Amino acid sequence: MSANGATLVANNIHKAFGDHEVLKGVSLSVQRGEVVTLIGASGSGKSTFLRCLNLLEMPQQGELAIGAHRFAFGKGPRAPKDAQLAQLRENVGMVFQHFNLFPHMSVLANVTEGPRQVKGMARTEADALGRDLLAKVGLADKADAFPSRLSGGQKQRVAIARALAMKPEVMLFDEPTSALDPELVGEVLSVIRNLAAEGMTMVLVTHEMTFAADVSTRVGFMNGGIMAEIGTPEETIRQPRSERLKAFLSRFHETH
Amino acid sequence: MYVWEFAALKPYWGLIGQGLLVTLFYTVTTVVAGLLIGLVVGILRTTAPRWVSVPLRLYIEVFRCTPLLVQLVWMYYALPVLIGVDMSPAMACFVALSLYAGSFYAEIFRGGIEAVDTGQWEAGRAIGMRRGKIFRRIVLPQATQVMIPSFINQTIMQLKNTSLVSVVAVGDLLYQGSVITATSYKPLEVYTIVAVLYFVVLFPLTLVADQIETRMGAHR
Ligand SMILES: Nc1ncnc2c1ncn2[C@@H]1O[C@H](COP(=O)(O)OP(=O)(O)OP(=O)(O)O)[C@@H](O)[C@H]1O
Ligand SMILES: [Mg+2]
Repeated sequence: MSANGATLVANNIHKAFGDHEVLKGVSLSVQRGEVVTLIGASGSGKSTFLRCLNLLEMPQQGELAIGAHRFAFGKGPRAPKDAQLAQLRENVGMVFQHFNLFPHMSVLANVTEGPRQVKGMARTEADALGRDLLAKVGLADKADAFPSRLSGGQKQRVAIARALAMKPEVMLFDEPTSALDPELVGEVLSVIRNLAAEGMTMVLVTHEMTFAADVSTRVGFMNGGIMAEIGTPEETIRQPRSERLKAFLSRFHETH
Repeated sequence: MYVWEFAALKPYWGLIGQGLLVTLFYTVTTVVAGLLIGLVVGILRTTAPRWVSVPLRLYIEVFRCTPLLVQLVWMYYALPVLIGVDMSPAMACFVALSLYAGSFYAEIFRGGIEAVDTGQWEAGRAIGMRRGKIFRRIVLPQATQVMIPSFINQTIMQLKNTSLVSVVAVGDLLYQGSVITATSYKPLEVYTIVAVLYFVVLFPLTLVADQIETRMGAHR
């Protein structure tokens, strides 16, 4: 499936919740070091698709390959085992809209939880890694603080460090700045921008169009459970082909 | 005016002390057993398939919706007939009190576990943690924090409820009180002392509960 050397290949992903068909055969192939942004109206299936990429949602049909991890979904293939899911997720970092930090652990412990508990890394090594990553997201001085003491922007940066601590091949971001006060959006975007510059492979869902145009190698427009258009930011954002995408983007200019 | 004669109880202090120890013993052992039952049942209720969780629900409702006194007496008189083994009063009391506490603790555990945001599970899964580990390291510690006030309240109730064992002649504080009354003819003094002793043990516990509650409130 990844004969073309792609890091992530999702092929013909279908997902329904009960009768509600949310993904109607979505495919996406992401090369190493690419940053792919997904845009689209509310309910178009962006989050669901993203969550299918680390199998927080289990597709009902289709295939997924990330690095050496391959899955096929449907009536024929067996459902992946817990252990296989865990192994995939070690390699795919995810950042949530609402941070989901562990409130009973210090910032440093949040970041080292994965390396220590999943990879069995020794404490000193994990702490050093954690402090490095916190420095990288500009929070070296918050290592011993608890999440409740942080601003939203700081929380999200800790969440990014927590995901990076697993040294994932791919990072997924689901509207990482949507829950933030406007003045805190910039600090999170700049961390993501730095990751892009370092060559981290990323798929992100965002409503920050300027940022998307700026940082992405490709932008995909999801509409009604399909990938309606995908291309360079220039193509998708500046020269939209479909009326739907034009309408979506124009609504955007009005409201933002 | 009634003239109090606490001095008349002097010969009985030993018995009263014994009774208090029995009360504390029943409280501690049945709280521990109840917590174990509650933890297991509470977890199974949130995660197990229906054929497990429905019978557990039945157990919980039976013990929550019948008076403890009835349960005690039933365990002592009826259960031995049904299963054909003799049960000492002490054993019957231990079983009834533990199952009763377990049914309440189970609901507290279940509520606490379900109160933890599903985002916490997802965050754990997203870094490759397995279910059991997420439960132990992420969910349970947070659930426990939420549950502490209810736990303390339930434990206070449990200590008071142990007084019911006197009905089947287990020598707890209240039972000794009635024994002493029968020989000393000083019910007012005896039962006042008994009440004061319960209070002296329990009041500090409620203070601790209050303190924990405010401290947790400040943490949010
Ligand atoms: N667990 C679920 N159970 C039932 N329906 C769901 C579930 N998750 C998502 N859906 C439905 O699937 C549809 C797509 O949801 P999704 O969250 O993927 O959209 P989205 O494009 O991310 O939208 P938004 O911009 O609002 O985040 C919605 O109609 C939503 O109600
Ligand atoms: Mg979404």
